[in-house]
Amino acid sequence: MSGQNFAFLLVLVAALGFFSYNIQRLVSYLKLGLPENRLDHPERRTWNLITIGFAQTRILRERGAGLSHASVFWGFLVITAGTAEILLHGVWPGFSYEHLLPRPLWQLFMLSQEIFAVIVLVAVSWLLWRRIVSPPKRLQGKEIHNTEAIIILFVIASLMLTLYTTGAFEYAANPAMRAAQYGWFRPISSLLGAALSGAPEGAMHAAYTVSFWSHALLVLGFLNFLPYSKHLHVVSSLINVWFSNTSGPGQVGVMKPMDLEAEVEQFGALDVDHLSWKNLLDGYSCTECGRCTAACPANITGKPLSPRKIVVDTRRRLMEKAPLMAGELDVEGSATLLMEAPGASDAFGNRLLDNYITEDELWACTSCRACVTECPVSIDQLDIIYELRRGLVLNEGRFPEEVQPTFESLEKNASPWAFSPADRARWSEGLNIPTYAEAFAEGKRPDILFWVGCMGSFDDRAKKITVAFARILQAADIDFAILGQEETCHGDPARRLGNEYLYQMLAKGTIETLDRYEVKTIVTFCPHCFHQMGNEFPQLGGNYEVIHHSTYIERLLNANMIPLTTEHGKHLTMTYHDSCYLGRYNDVYDSPRESLKRALPILTLVEPERTKDRGLCCGAGGGRMFVDEKVGKRINVERTEELIATGADVIAVACPFCMTMMTDGVAKLESAVTVLDISEVVAGQLAPVRSRELVAGD
Amino acid sequence: MKIAVCIKRVADMGARFQIGADGASVSDAGIKYDMSDFDEWAVEAALQLNEKHGGGEVTVISLGPDSAQETLRKALAMGADKAVHLKADRIPFDGFAIAEALAAELKDGGFDLVLFGRIAVDSAAGVTGAMVAELLDMPCVTAVSKLEVSGTTGTAERQVEGGVETLSFPLPALCTIDQGLVTQARYPSLKGIMAAKKKPMESKPAQLGAISVNVSKMELPPERSAGRIVGEGAAAVPELIRLLQTEAKVL
Ligand code: SF4
Ligand code: SF4
Repeated sequence: MSGQNFAFLLVLVAALGFFSYNIQRLVSYLKLGLPENRLDHPERRTWNLITIGFAQTRILRERGAGLSHASVFWGFLVITAGTAEILLHGVWPGFSYEHLLPRPLWQLFMLSQEIFAVIVLVAVSWLLWRRIVSPPKRLQGKEIHNTEAIIILFVIASLMLTLYTTGAFEYAANPAMRAAQYGWFRPISSLLGAALSGAPEGAMHAAYTVSFWSHALLVLGFLNFLPYSKHLHVVSSLINVWFSNTSGPGQVGVMKPMDLEAEVEQFGALDVDHLSWKNLLDGYSCTECGRCTAACPANITGKPLSPRKIVVDTRRRLMEKAPLMAGELDVEGSATLLMEAPGASDAFGNRLLDNYITEDELWACTSCRACVTECPVSIDQLDIIYELRRGLVLNEGRFPEEVQPTFESLEKNASPWAFSPADRARWSEGLNIPTYAEAFAEGKRPDILFWVGCMGSFDDRAKKITVAFARILQAADIDFAILGQEETCHGDPARRLGNEYLYQMLAKGTIETLDRYEVKTIVTFCPHCFHQMGNEFPQLGGNYEVIHHSTYIERLLNANMIPLTTEHGKHLTMTYHDSCYLGRYNDVYDSPRESLKRALPILTLVEPERTKDRGLCCGAGGGRMFVDEKVGKRINVERTEELIATGADVIAVACPFCMTMMTDGVAKLESAVTVLDISEVVAGQLAPVRSRELVAGD
Repeated sequence: MKIAVCIKRVADMGARFQIGADGASVSDAGIKYDMSDFDEWAVEAALQLNEKHGGGEVTVISLGPDSAQETLRKALAMGADKAVHLKADRIPFDGFAIAEALAAELKDGGFDLVLFGRIAVDSAAGVTGAMVAELLDMPCVTAVSKLEVSGTTGTAERQVEGGVETLSFPLPALCTIDQGLVTQARYPSLKGIMAAKKKPMESKPAQLGAISVNVSKMELPPERSAGRIVGEGAAAVPELIRLLQTEAKVL
């Protein structure tokens, strides 16, 4: 072993040692988080890793930057194999894949290195241009490490360049090995080398050594810079994608179960050590790309919330707190310096809530899941928001003051509004709709429970949806009943607002009623009821088949069970507004659209710019319905403008909350557009009763 | 400061009331109960006073059947330190009988301040506080909308017709709390609810005084009959006047 090889070995060992020390440090910080099992369904997780991780499907949702990033990523995967060879070569000059692989394969490998290096260079140049010359809005903001990103891009470019120069100098310095080692499979190095081949060999040898060392030192430097930067995602994001639940396994969008009897010091989270280790890993994995923030309705309309900041703050606070808890003040100094954590001396008194993330940010969230859906590395921003909301409400009784009447009314009236439970089924008077109590008294067991929901029971506009849907059920001859006065709020608004205690009280009460009436199948037109009862009730032992009315109506239409008129009236252009809890939470995008088209075949359905899983929230989710919108533009106005811009005569919705927000938006904008629930469109097409009876009498 | 707050469990006023079988009480069916609003503000005021001055102890006292303990728990969840339940089969209407039971409990408690809500929202009599003050021989200020304590002197503000009067009085004293002293009573957090389970709650028979006033009959206000449209425009005026004279008898 030559002196140079020995020196290289020392550098390599030091670099790898420091890197592994840092990784161990970061892993030990994760242990501050609460336990959470993420080892279930390994096959599903591996599938996520392949699609979202390796195939970069989420990144590619955005064309330009997506393709550039994916190129760099795939380039890295390929080139890392070459890097390993180069590092081994530094210690043991004889080492080369050439001896390990059959020659054609080896040539292919060398070719892949050169080609991917070009691709990476092109992509990096584009990314640099975009960072420096025309940064999109999502790459602006004070939580962004922009200089760091630019330096990293330059380092990557230099890595690619030194890859070529090393080859070129080797070519120029060793005429003897040219024939075997160079050729069509290393086109760029060979060309560059040929251009240099007139130069004195001694100088070329020196240049080769310098280039080789530069490349190796850049690689090792880069490796060791990662743990201190947002580029930690290079190491953690694939791991994060595997452990993530945001694309399954399991139902997405479900809030974490919570044991209220547990002997804990705090409920929910006030600081990083109250979050789960997975939330903390999310912090490591954030690339600060801002895709989440760019899609966030609160952020778009000028509220103080940025989901990216939520994640970055989680990481920054962990970097501040963990060393103190792990007793590693020395390392902490350098870590916080690079992470820019404010006032390290305050570290003991600080906490994630208030010092990093404020109450106003948390209450601005509509729980629309746009952030989660956009994140290329499967981070769950919303989970952190929910845990902090729980922390605020359950420990400190802090929430916007206008929410208190909501909580109190839920407690007293089992509805978020102060209506008397006795008035719940007023809408059904004279419609001949049985209640479960009545059905049971006659010894009947209805097939379907029509769950009306609080909006459908008390809100004047929503009551029209209730009646429309009931008419459809009657026209289709469905054996259904309602709970009437015995229906109670399932507590979802309380849960979304962080009041898990009130939620569980209400949910358990509802489950008791449902079980008492042996309910198996529930149909509802409220996506919040649909999601809560179908997806979150199982946590409390309530297991029912819950169907949203859009799906149910589509089924009935497909089975030709709804008698429709053939009179279509005048031609209408309609646009459909996706409800978050139907779309991003439950993947129901087509049923409402299909139901509309089937009920009214002459309809033209137009799509707004942001649609389906990219749809913009109406602004009412996550309990925002009960919180005043004081800052910025109103979300419903932003959304309504977009829907009106499609030129539609009718905005169709499939959620009573969206209905309120859109109706309100249309009124604010003084537009003549009508807002209808899909059931109202379908009910409007029901065949007149007399002709129906004639058909039935045939 | 040692503060006692006397609270009452009342029916939720938003409910649809029905007269009970005896014709002199409210039927229980479908009714939810909670702490009387003014009493909630009194608890809040006590908690805020002690938070401001540091230390101290807030004792909540309620008279009534076992269900009163639920209301006491709520006050504990809000932050009160201990609770006393004065057990009685039902809450009599006679304020003086109640005042005697409360005074017996408060007498040796060594409280610096005793707070009541200005009225209980169900009976709306507003006399018990003043009676207790008399029985305990304490200065009494009713309908307080602002309350300060420094040393052994209290200062209170009261809203009077068209203005505000400020009063001062020596402690111990009794005040009844009006709307406006606090904007909103705090919402008990889960942490508070959990902590309340471990706080002391003493239950003992109420030493009610002799009951000399009883409710003999209760009636619902007459149902408002549906409105009637007499007609439209000037043509309808004579008919309207006729109806107002003959049927409504207001002209
Ligand atoms: S859930 Fe929606 S509103 Fe909340 S942070 Fe994410 S994108 Fe913003
Ligand atoms: S949370 Fe995800 S989408 Fe948001 S900035 Fe970080 S990596 Fe990008």
